[in-house]
Amino acid sequence: MTAAEVNSSEAKISPPSRSTTGSANVTKRLQTELMTLMMSSTPGISAFPNDENLLQWTATIDGPDGTPYAGLSFKLSFEFPSTYPLTAPTVLFKTPIYHPNIDFSGRICLDILKDKWSAIYNVQSVLLSLQSLLGEPNNSSPLNGQAAELWDKDPVEYKRLVLARHREDEETGLGL
Amino acid sequence: MSSIPSRRLSRASSRAESTFSFHSLPASTAPLALSSPAVTHRSEPSDFVRRSNRHKKIPVDVRTLEYLEPCDSNLVCLICHCPFDKAVRLACDHVFCNDCVDQAFAAQEGSAPKTCPTCRNRVDLNREPLPVPRILMSMLDELRVKCPNHKAGCTWADKRSDAQDHVELYCDHAQVECASPDCRLGVLQKDFHKGCLHYTVSCEHCHTSMMKKDLEQICPNRMTICTSCFIEILRHDLPSHLKEECPKATIMCPGSVCGCSFAHERTVVVAHVTTCPMATMAPFFQAQKARLDEQESQQKLLQRKVDILEGGLSNIQNMLYPANTNPNEPCPVPNPLDPNTIDYASGPLPGTPDFRLPAAAFPPASQPTVDQATAAGQPPQPPFDSSTHHLLSLHESLRDEVSRIANALTDLEGRTNMMIINENQRVKDEMLHTNAAINSMRMQLHWLTSARLQAQNRTTGGGGPGSSSAAGGSGSSGSGASRAGGNGGGSGSAGAGAGGSGLGGGVTLHPIRRLSDSNRQDTKL
Ligand SMILES: [Zn+2]
Ligand SMILES: [Zn+2]
Ligand SMILES: [Zn+2]
Ligand SMILES: [Zn+2]
Ligand SMILES: [Zn+2]
Ligand SMILES: [Zn+2]
Ligand SMILES: [Zn+2]
Repeated sequence: MTAAEVNSSEAKISPPSRSTTGSANVTKRLQTELMTLMMSSTPGISAFPNDENLLQWTATIDGPDGTPYAGLSFKLSFEFPSTYPLTAPTVLFKTPIYHPNIDFSGRICLDILKDKWSAIYNVQSVLLSLQSLLGEPNNSSPLNGQAAELWDKDPVEYKRLVLARHREDEETGLGL
Repeated sequence: MSSIPSRRLSRASSRAESTFSFHSLPASTAPLALSSPAVTHRSEPSDFVRRSNRHKKIPVDVRTLEYLEPCDSNLVCLICHCPFDKAVRLACDHVFCNDCVDQAFAAQEGSAPKTCPTCRNRVDLNREPLPVPRILMSMLDELRVKCPNHKAGCTWADKRSDAQDHVELYCDHAQVECASPDCRLGVLQKDFHKGCLHYTVSCEHCHTSMMKKDLEQICPNRMTICTSCFIEILRHDLPSHLKEECPKATIMCPGSVCGCSFAHERTVVVAHVTTCPMATMAPFFQAQKARLDEQESQQKLLQRKVDILEGGLSNIQNMLYPANTNPNEPCPVPNPLDPNTIDYASGPLPGTPDFRLPAAAFPPASQPTVDQATAAGQPPQPPFDSSTHHLLSLHESLRDEVSRIANALTDLEGRTNMMIINENQRVKDEMLHTNAAINSMRMQLHWLTSARLQAQNRTTGGGGPGSSSAAGGSGSSGSGASRAGGNGGGSGSAGAGAGGSGLGGGVTLHPIRRLSDSNRQDTKL
């Protein structure tokens, strides 16, 4: 901590370059986001940085009521680039999830995490978007074709598969 | 007797020296006292210029500032989540920091038209971004922030628009270049005057070595616990904490200056002060005491001056009356400074009736004057309202006396001159008489001797050189007889006629010379 202080004070002496303020801005922005998240405590979502690394967070979302995911909670990982918030964070589902727009390794197909990313988005808005994605999948461009088909045709089977997939996590979790 | 004036003189000169040294003391310190504030006044602006040059002109990064109160969410940029820095507006009325929106545009894919980060409206970079309303600017300027160096200890906190000036010009905790020209390291402004602190020392608290400048900041033992109130504070702040703020430290009631002996923990004393009449009076008493002290010191100064003046006065008096001195009583004029002078209140001395100064002119400093005066049967003199008045009256009476003496002296001189002239005249007259008497006696003697010689010549009847020489001698002495002929009588003239005609020439020559001789003798006398 003391070394960091000395470093930062000596960095102030030399004119700041764009890159150093960039990373400083990421840290600063993530700190404010964390503060906002903890203060507002939006129901159904939560997020917290991993130990010692503000650029990697773990988040959870609860499945929205009235959807096959109701009562289930899902873990996600966030990895922020040094250009955040100008470029999107990499978000992955860590809990196995059966969903048309999420593949088996947890990758998400969501426009706002890709080309529709905007600098005004933040962890909270991403989590809320993902929560709503659970209830309203985009079946026109699925990553999981079977899930996209079942969503409309057989909600009961869909629900069973969702639960089965979620239980995998519990089993692996227990196994570990 | 002759030694006394010289001794007086030496005493007078030593007094004079002491007065000189007394006067020279303030004269020598005065320029110093005057010059020292002038020096500091001159140094201030130069120091100001120097430090503003020393500070690097680094723009304060508004996003790293800490705000005193949470900011209105409407003033927060959605990109950086900080209050706007150089806010700009897009055509869609969304507001961002200038840098934030620039970076957001740069991050958007190159060929596609830029869009608003919030609403994805198309942005015309030739027209946008637009300025924001003035009211937004002033709301942002008035946000209150902590100094960027507050972690280093700066307590400044004020409007965000002043932060840049504070850091550049006033902040004592800003990083500046080390005072040593060959040292390129940074140092805090407040430590600049201590010279280069970039050498390694061993901390006396944790026995690790660190740079001198970091001694207070990074020592793991730098914190200590106040033994009274048990809060954790920096070790070097402990003395001031105990003295000024520790709520449990035992302090005296501020009324202790006027006698309150209440001493307790600070919080208790604070409550006590509201009821303690002595604490209420304390400031007043302290002001009075300060004034008294000032008066006293001034009085001491005046006393010294009076002493010196009185010393000078007594010297003047000693010089004025040296005639009255005698070995037994060196100073017949009472010494005004000596309260043991017995006769000073007992009236004028018989010998010097006019020369006595008024007794009231000599009240010895801080002595029971009135008692002595009344004991001597004199009415108590009206007190002089200050020593200056006293001295002035002394001075006046002395001046009167001097002029009186001067008059007396001229009078005396005139009288003496007259007396001398008169006496001279009398002596002259007497001398003329004596001269005349002597001459007549001489003629009588001559007449007698010449008569005797003639009688001898007649009886011997002989000639020769001896007789001729005797005739010459008789001729010369006979001249006086011819002048005072009346006395000679009939026998004298008969004798001269018998003396021979050849001697007549000698007789006519000699009396003139003789007359001049006698004249010369007169002047000699
Ligand atoms: Zn911004
Ligand atoms: Zn917009
Ligand atoms: Zn400061
Ligand atoms: Zn140095
Ligand atoms: Zn130490
Ligand atoms: Zn204390
Ligand atoms: Zn008291």
